[in-house]
Amino acid sequence: MRIIIAGVGDVGYHLAKELSYESHDITAIDINQQRLAHTDSMTDILSINGSATSLSILKQANADKADLFIAVTSSEEMNIASSILAKKMGAKKTIARISNEEYLSNEVKINFKEIGIDFMIYPEALVVQETVNLIKRTAATDLLEFEGGKLSVMGIRLDKNAPIIHKTLNEVAKEYPNIDFRIVAIYRNFRTIIPMGKDKFLPNDQVFVITKPEGIETILKLAGKENINFNNIMILGGSKIGRGVAKLLPEEMTVKLIESDEDKTFSLADELPRTLVIHGDGRDIDLLAQEGIIDVDAFVAVTEDAETNIISCLMAKHLGVKKAIALVDKTDYVPLTQTIGLDSLINKKLNAATNILQFIRRGEVLAQTSLEGIDAQLFEYEAHPNSSVLKKKVKDLDFPKEAIIGGIVRGEESFIVVGDSQILPNDKVVIFSLPAGIKKLEKLFKS
Amino acid sequence: MNFKIIFKLIGFLLMLTGLFMTAGIPFSFYYRSDDIPALLISALITSATGFILWLLTRKTENNEFGKREGFLIVTFGWLVMALFGALPFMIYGTITNYTDAFFETMSGFTTTGATIIQNIEVIPAGLLFWRSLTQWLGGMGIIVLSLAILPILGIGGMQLFAAEVPGITKDKIHPRVRETAKRLWGIYILLTFSEIILLLIGGMNLFDAINHSFTTMATGGFSTKNASTGYFSSPFIQYVFIIFMLFAGMNFTLHYQMFHGKFSFIKKNTEFKSYILFIAIVTLIVTVVHLPHIDFHLEEAFRQTLFHVTSLVTTTGYVSSDYENWAPFSRMFFFTLLFIGGCAGSTGGGIKFARHYLLTKNGLLELKRLLHPRAVIPVRFNGKAVGMDIISNVQAFFIFYIGIAVFGSILLSIFGLDFISAAGAVATCLGNVGPGIGTVGPVNNFAHLPDIAKWILSFFMLMGRLELFTVLLILTPAFWKS
Repeated sequence: MRIIIAGVGDVGYHLAKELSYESHDITAIDINQQRLAHTDSMTDILSINGSATSLSILKQANADKADLFIAVTSSEEMNIASSILAKKMGAKKTIARISNEEYLSNEVKINFKEIGIDFMIYPEALVVQETVNLIKRTAATDLLEFEGGKLSVMGIRLDKNAPIIHKTLNEVAKEYPNIDFRIVAIYRNFRTIIPMGKDKFLPNDQVFVITKPEGIETILKLAGKENINFNNIMILGGSKIGRGVAKLLPEEMTVKLIESDEDKTFSLADELPRTLVIHGDGRDIDLLAQEGIIDVDAFVAVTEDAETNIISCLMAKHLGVKKAIALVDKTDYVPLTQTIGLDSLINKKLNAATNILQFIRRGEVLAQTSLEGIDAQLFEYEAHPNSSVLKKKVKDLDFPKEAIIGGIVRGEESFIVVGDSQILPNDKVVIFSLPAGIKKLEKLFKS
Repeated sequence: MNFKIIFKLIGFLLMLTGLFMTAGIPFSFYYRSDDIPALLISALITSATGFILWLLTRKTENNEFGKREGFLIVTFGWLVMALFGALPFMIYGTITNYTDAFFETMSGFTTTGATIIQNIEVIPAGLLFWRSLTQWLGGMGIIVLSLAILPILGIGGMQLFAAEVPGITKDKIHPRVRETAKRLWGIYILLTFSEIILLLIGGMNLFDAINHSFTTMATGGFSTKNASTGYFSSPFIQYVFIIFMLFAGMNFTLHYQMFHGKFSFIKKNTEFKSYILFIAIVTLIVTVVHLPHIDFHLEEAFRQTLFHVTSLVTTTGYVSSDYENWAPFSRMFFFTLLFIGGCAGSTGGGIKFARHYLLTKNGLLELKRLLHPRAVIPVRFNGKAVGMDIISNVQAFFIFYIGIAVFGSILLSIFGLDFISAAGAVATCLGNVGPGIGTVGPVNNFAHLPDIAKWILSFFMLMGRLELFTVLLILTPAFWKS
């Protein structure tokens, strides 16, 4: 596929890396020479320095022959304008990153396809949903739902006194023969492991489990966790994400939002009648104490500044907050934060990139999600009636060792996959895979 | 200060006033009353004065004016209208003292409804009609009317509109002030017309129906009968009064929405909800108090209570019973109601519900703010957060209002009124209600007050009608500095 990426910030860079890995022909356009050079050196792409709204640059990038044009610069206007231009020049499909929720809502209907934008992504909305899920599912570090919750993938960090510590996978499976879950990955010492039967659980492992809704309680018990209900939430930063989270949290939760820009606080208070909006700096310990940080269950730091978010989350943890969630948009920090004791972190840009990849692979892939901090992806494939996965039982398939099948959704039912499972046509299959396994997976599911 | 434009517009207003004076003449013909010459002469004097003012200033090229001119035009416009509006009473001779005539007219234009006339039923039809008409014109505002019908005002129209229809937030129902004024008057006329029809159905004669509809919709309170609305004992007519008083006390923007089939305000509009809830609760309490007074006739107790509560809260001031004596404490109860007022954007006067709501809510939230000193906790009104600038404006209004009421009561005491009557007279005039308590109570009138008290009260009526700031501003030295 010929793909043009306009803007190689974090999202564009991540996309370029992922897509060049899958041997697509990628042309990157960016106005910043340095950023472009960096991307160029790390990936196998053609780079063009210039503005994505310049016709000559677009022509130079062969926009007329492109299969896909992705506009992910930091400016919404530029993304929209360049997508339209590229489409009019002959690009087959266009994707624009936006920063305005209204474009996706149905209040005023505008046919964006008609003017040349096939798909719009609004990363903030994805992050908001993820954050709210994390607050609701308190013991999990990650939580991803498939097919409306019929299957979910949960990330949990193992406590020292968890019942399954120092046991192998096989032992656990023997002990709990009737439970509906499967361990798909373990993240340990910066490495993602696809576990085999003989692998042991160690303290501080981050374990990813696929489960049916009924299995969640048992899993939490095994990990030595309890799902407590959170009532007291504190949000730092009244950005679009902060607003969105405050709006989406259930009514019975007490929500406080701290914002340092005085003008912004008033419009926040206007928009969020159920939230107590506080003017101040989230790193000010006196302020946090005054607003009862001691009683806060979850602390969500979503200012624009990654450092502030990390520091304030650490402070909140230090003051006894049960769960701290930080928005960390600097991809370089992602591995670091896991070790310094943050519970969950969210990355707007990775989220956006994943969302775009999902769009690109649409067809076979129904959904695709990345797990923060670990170099792996979750896919939801639909099994085509004549694809090769249907021919054998799961244990006999030539399955990549970098990937693992988690579960199947068949109509209204869902199953956790074991060796003897057989995939049937039109099953929706949830698969966990390291990047190296993706190519092989695609072949297996291709019709 | 562009004085020429001020005089020019006041000239226009006077011509308009003169024209309206003749409106009652058909009734004079019909009832064969002898007030036609008085009305014609007054109309001539008023219009001629207006015409001369206009003639002297008509050549002015400079038609632009700003906020200051707007405030001056409105304040002096109203003053001059009352000064000339008193002429028919004087020329006919029904009122012999000019102070009394001026008080009566000012009470009319400001829709107060306080009267000095002892025997209203001897006054000829044309004059009675003029008396009711002053209220009807004053209700929606004669300047708003001029904006609607005269094409003379350009940009300055908004200044005039803001000065005559003050309020907390400006809700224009059309981008252009002229169209807004037209729509407001359209609704006003339509409602008045509906009330006339309903009163006719209730058995009232056309003359009384028109007069009472004028004074209900204006929340004025003048009646054509000595016993005021007590004369009409039919429950149907009383309920019609109640309903239209409630309509008049509502924000007219809401009527506009209703005409367009939008009823969502019933759930969403904070002021409307508090208005209805307040009247309902007070009515409930007073009904119970009132029951023993009328031998436990439940429906009658409810109707009388609702009638008087609505009448005082909307600042109409209709009276059909001596409510001061319903129970030992009912005087205090009804005195308090004089300080409530209708909704913002209604024809009612007083402090108004929106202000009461904002002040109360802000007061309660202040307690929460003490707990969270760094929190931003705005008052929510109609689902929107209200800025501190508006709260501060409302607080200033409230302080002025109460301050003027106290100061006025002291002033009237100095001129010989007893404590209760002084407080009642000031409260009722400042709130544009009508009946006070004590010697100016529901079954008494203002005739016995000393002249100076009547001038003071007339001034209070004007201040109340223009919601303090318009008049107070003119009294500040800063206003006159360029």
